[in-house]
Amino acid sequence: MTDTQWETYEVFHQSKKGDPHMYVGSLHAPDPEMALQMARDQFARRLKCVSLWVVRTKDITATDYQNDDFFAQTTDKSYRDPKAFDAPTKELSHE
Amino acid sequence: MSAEKANDQKLADFEAKINGGEKIEPGDWMPDEYRKNLIRMMSQHAHSEIVGQLPEGKWIPYAPGFRRKLTLVAKVQDEAGHGQLLYSAAETLGVTREQMLDELLSGKAKYANVFNYPTPTWADVGVIGWLVDTAAVINQTMLAQSSYGPYARAMKRICYEESFHIKQGYDAVVALAKGTPEQQSMVQDSINRWWYPTLMMSGPPESKGLSVHSQLAMRWKIKTKTNEQVRQEFVDHIVPQIRALGMDVPDKACRYDEKTGHWHYTQPDWEELKRVVNGDGPCNKERLEMRRRAHDEGRWVREALAAKQRAKEVTA
Amino acid sequence: MSDLPAGLPREQLLRYILALADDELMLGHRNSEWTGHSPILEEDIAFSNIAQDELGHSLVWYTLYEQLTGKSPDSMAFERGWQDFSCCRFVTYPRGDFAYTVVRQYLFDEAEYVRLSSFGRSSFPAFKDIAGKLLREEAYHLMHLKGLVTRLGDATDESHRRMQAALDAAFPQSLGIFEKLEGEDALMAAGVFPGNEVSQREWLQRVVPVLASASLKPPVNTQNGTSSINCTPDLGGRQGKHTEHLNHLVDDLQLVYRIAPGAKW
Repeated sequence: MTDTQWETYEVFHQSKKGDPHMYVGSLHAPDPEMALQMARDQFARRLKCVSLWVVRTKDITATDYQNDDFFAQTTDKSYRDPKAFDAPTKELSHE
Repeated sequence: MSAEKANDQKLADFEAKINGGEKIEPGDWMPDEYRKNLIRMMSQHAHSEIVGQLPEGKWIPYAPGFRRKLTLVAKVQDEAGHGQLLYSAAETLGVTREQMLDELLSGKAKYANVFNYPTPTWADVGVIGWLVDTAAVINQTMLAQSSYGPYARAMKRICYEESFHIKQGYDAVVALAKGTPEQQSMVQDSINRWWYPTLMMSGPPESKGLSVHSQLAMRWKIKTKTNEQVRQEFVDHIVPQIRALGMDVPDKACRYDEKTGHWHYTQPDWEELKRVVNGDGPCNKERLEMRRRAHDEGRWVREALAAKQRAKEVTA
Repeated sequence: MSDLPAGLPREQLLRYILALADDELMLGHRNSEWTGHSPILEEDIAFSNIAQDELGHSLVWYTLYEQLTGKSPDSMAFERGWQDFSCCRFVTYPRGDFAYTVVRQYLFDEAEYVRLSSFGRSSFPAFKDIAGKLLREEAYHLMHLKGLVTRLGDATDESHRRMQAALDAAFPQSLGIFEKLEGEDALMAAGVFPGNEVSQREWLQRVVPVLASASLKPPVNTQNGTSSINCTPDLGGRQGKHTEHLNHLVDDLQLVYRIAPGAKW
């Protein structure tokens, strides 16, 4: 029997309906159900909360800061920017 | 580029990031010294919180009245919460909580020395909440600007909660300072005992130059003020508050200097700090023993809950 | 100070309110002793919330008592002699190991659930209101404690051994929660609550299956769907007949307060 501090879970917290869930931290728990309860005690005893998500840390797939090629946008992408196009005009032009 | 030159380039990029006010996040390249320094600082800070539960936690059964009792349970609970946040932040650097706790319980790791002092009276609860937490907040507000993202985030949340601990402590002290002669002398006696240990919290003066740790910590924006700057800030802030209550500090040389705009004070006995930090303080053994006992007596619970989940996963 | 609705027996009601308040105070006090000493940080934080809730619940009951008598919660909790308390003995015993604490809290929380639920039909409006509020916090306690009991009950040989030993000790003690109160018949006749016998039956129906699912056996025989108790209940608390444990507990509880009773702390 190994004595461990259990696995870690990442915690997401929603203050009110309509808001996105925000990352608030991580905790150690023996299983997902207890993780949810412990999240309520550690992350929601002062902050107003209507929803909590807990995810095992090992189940998170994340990008690597050191590979910023992943997010590279080095060629002109201004066609994605609304400012690059004119809005419809209200005036008629009589040519 | 040779490996050495590549490393120099990485270091230069790293320092440019820090000087530009950018945060370093888990997974970013960082010099080994930076990582080691941060692990040491964050784990020591976490240990301080959980050891710090004990001097005040001792008074929970004896707290006078519902309000004080509930407030004290909540405060000591917050300290567990802060320990939890800090251990989690430290774990992002590749160290496990098992390793950190092992270092604490085996006596290898250090923690804030101020918690090696005893709390013989109820007044100590208010005085620690007020004085010790004020000194801690001054230090922690600086740490909230830390270049390391997880540490800065944990510190912001901790500072927010510590600011009400200060109010809770002050509230308890005011009740005593304005109370019966017995209550008043209890609180003055407590201030007399906690004054110098609190001053020691910011660390020895760096008049002979910053230690290697401190130099790097300043350069890499882990630390942005010297120990003496933090201590002076504390004294300037707290002495007027103490005197406004009709209490005083046990330092006859403590006086306001018109020219500098600061309060002059006597340095604590730094030899005492060395002795206490190295295990020779009044409560070092007792505090660690208590934490060890809680850890050992709780082992069957941790093992059982882990085993239960493993069994569930096997049958799933 | 407010008056009772007509037809409610004042003496008996005040006695009952005090018993409710005293139960929560002592249990909350015992629970709060775990802060800083729990098996793991996350549980230290969780259990501390439960302790604060129990103390908070006692304050709600003492506040109701104050509305009816003018006597403040602090004076009731911090100035009475230990033999004047009417908590059950169960909640006065030392916290023991974590198994005893978990089993005690679980059995008590189920009893709370039953009695507070019964107040939902009470002829005393204040009981209805208070029960509504407290039940919502108790729901979390039950979830957490059931979770711990069902996991620890049969996870490992050691956890099973400790939990069974805890149950062996705690079960006879828990029956003291339902000790018949002086004046209970008058309260039942006035519709304040259905009485301890009914509550105990309902409580048994709830706890026996949960304990069984955790491989834990209380001293109860179940035949044809009815359970009968097979142990001597630990009674006396409701009549102020306590053990030395309460004497020590009250000495601790009132230690600092007694330095300057009535002073502002």
